Amino acid sequence: MFFRILRQSFFEGRKRKILAATTVALAATLITALLDLSVDVGDKMAREMKSYGANIRVVPKSETVALEVGGIDYNPLKGRDYLDERDLPLIKDIFWRNNIVGLAPFLRTSVEAEGRAGQAVPLIGTYFDKSLPLPDDDTYRTGVTATNAFWAIEGAWPDDEKPEEVLLGRSLARALNLAPGATLRVQGTEGGPTPLRVTGLLTTGGAEDDAIVAPLALAQRLTGLSGRVQAVEVSALTVPENDLSNRARRDTEALSTAEYDVWYCTAYVSAIAHQIEEAVVNASARPIWQVAAGEGAIIGKIQLLMLVVTLAAFVSAAMGVSSLMNATIMERAREIGLMKALGAATWEIHMVFLGEAVIVGVIGGLIGCVAGTGLSQAVGLMVFGSTVSIPWIGVPVVVFLSAATALAGSIIPSRAIARLLPVEVLYGRR
Amino acid sequence: MDALAEGMPMEGCATYGAPARDVIEIGGLYKRFGAVTALDGVDLTIRAGEFVAIMGPSGSGKTTLLNILSCLDTPSEGRYLLDGIETATLDGKAQAVVRREKIGLVFQQFHLIPYLSAVENVMLAQHYHSVADRDEAMAALERVGLGPRAQHLPSQLSGGEQQRACIARALINEPAIVLADEPTGNLDEKNEELVMALFQQLHAEGRTLVLVTHNPELGARTQRIIRLNHGRVEA
Ligand SMILES: Nc1ncnc2c1ncn2[C@@H]1O[C@H](COP(=O)(O)OP(=O)(O)O)[C@@H](O)[C@H]1O
Ligand SMILES: [Mg+2]
Repeated sequence: MFFRILRQSFFEGRKRKILAATTVALAATLITALLDLSVDVGDKMAREMKSYGANIRVVPKSETVALEVGGIDYNPLKGRDYLDERDLPLIKDIFWRNNIVGLAPFLRTSVEAEGRAGQAVPLIGTYFDKSLPLPDDDTYRTGVTATNAFWAIEGAWPDDEKPEEVLLGRSLARALNLAPGATLRVQGTEGGPTPLRVTGLLTTGGAEDDAIVAPLALAQRLTGLSGRVQAVEVSALTVPENDLSNRARRDTEALSTAEYDVWYCTAYVSAIAHQIEEAVVNASARPIWQVAAGEGAIIGKIQLLMLVVTLAAFVSAAMGVSSLMNATIMERAREIGLMKALGAATWEIHMVFLGEAVIVGVIGGLIGCVAGTGLSQAVGLMVFGSTVSIPWIGVPVVVFLSAATALAGSIIPSRAIARLLPVEVLYGRR
Repeated sequence: MDALAEGMPMEGCATYGAPARDVIEIGGLYKRFGAVTALDGVDLTIRAGEFVAIMGPSGSGKTTLLNILSCLDTPSEGRYLLDGIETATLDGKAQAVVRREKIGLVFQQFHLIPYLSAVENVMLAQHYHSVADRDEAMAALERVGLGPRAQHLPSQLSGGEQQRACIARALINEPAIVLADEPTGNLDEKNEELVMALFQQLHAEGRTLVLVTHNPELGARTQRIIRLNHGRVEA
């Protein structure tokens, strides 16, 4: 009988209910769009920011030990201590492996270039878009195209598997008067003269503008350092630093076991660096703090902004529902009085009105899910040039929030139900 | 005599064969609204199976008295025993329980729920009392001659039909007493006659009925008239 009452009474005061559902739907649209965007575009944005540089630098452990005294470098292994290229896949096998969006190894040397006799030209060996065999059989493509996506190329990227293909820094190309497609002969510390083919010109605004950027294999051959790497730059998705990560940064030993577990299982840049050190023997992984801190802070602020907007939307929706529910209860006062006269308990009458509010909320929430998804796709297309993926888990969350909003908005006006006296409404007195 | 037994409340079994007991017993009842004294020391007894009319000029306190009898309102002072229960001191919750267990109400303005059909309006009273039973509700509507119109909404029924649906609703839970405030006030003569005939039939079946009216012809068709004037019962 209750559901019969609810079903029939639901179509009473249709106009007002459509209005209330619309109010809720607007808020639900907003939150759905923000949810889609913050899950997917938040990710996109983080990745996009990642492309402005790596945030972890991995070097051999000995490199971090300062052995410079009076300007003289006493490090006995200087220039002799390297990371093993075969260890690179280990970085992609840590606990936070899915947060590693890219890594690029570096091996720097200098060569003599034809037409620049006597002058050393820096040559940087790295990965462009190399497929890396992972321990669990997947192959993973990575390189500077992932970690340094802001590098601007005129021409084409070299092929990592063709060691004669290189990029030429723009300033160097101008000095040598070379264009993409040209051939350049160089002489490294090992081997004979090597002809290189310039596939493209590189502009980074950094030291690379004056260098030859080549596949790692070429740099290794020119230096005789087969299978060796000087440094690896890693781009990882991280969460903003907080008190815990700051303490861990000072001294992980000072953390309690529980704190350590929390820190270890959170994608702090320091935790990820720590795990890389665990995975790669003799490696020292250090966050590049400016980058790491800046990214975390921006994403944190964007999320806070979204939270505030969402909260405001739901509060105003609840207020809208509240005034509409108030009018509904006034209008249906006689009906409420009659139910009371028939001996209905107050809660039984509440159930009808709050039940209607929940239905209105659910309908508004569902409409909002559809509209919000459309909105987020439109925003995705306009701002990022691609649709955003739909987090389906958001649908029940949004519908539940909408129902809760409609319910919350109805609570205050429905208190009038308890105060209403049947004698005052049934006889039309006053 | 079967019908009489059916019309009795649950405790009725104990009173089989005994002389009619008091359903309503009121003593020294006052109701004041600020400076206005609407009921000014009313003493009144109504026995099971009685058909009583309450009459009096406008403003004499008829509705006020009926509201107290219905447990919709509480007296300022005095005793009210309904079917053996002291009701004057009950709180709102307990009053609601007494209303659904003991009382059938018939209103001048019918007060049917506009979005429920006639039979659903009857079932609503069952629902708040115990459990809705469509067959029983249909039977109640047939008894008041509304069987063929049971599926209609109140807006699709004439005034007289609405009032008969209201009476069916008042009877459905076998109340100890049926209270009607000017039930024919909004009806034409033909429907007034129909409703009055229905009340007389219910009386014949052994129901206890209280009818508020200012129509002397209707009053004359009851067993006993209680006259109110300025909140007092006239001798
Ligand atoms: N809620 C109320 N507030 C103030 N005065 C009231 C109220 N209800 C009834 N009265 C007064 O009590 C008196 C009796 O009213 P009522 O019982 O409605 O009379 P009747 O039904 O016989 O016409 C009137 O003077 C009326 O104005
Ligand atoms: Mg009156």
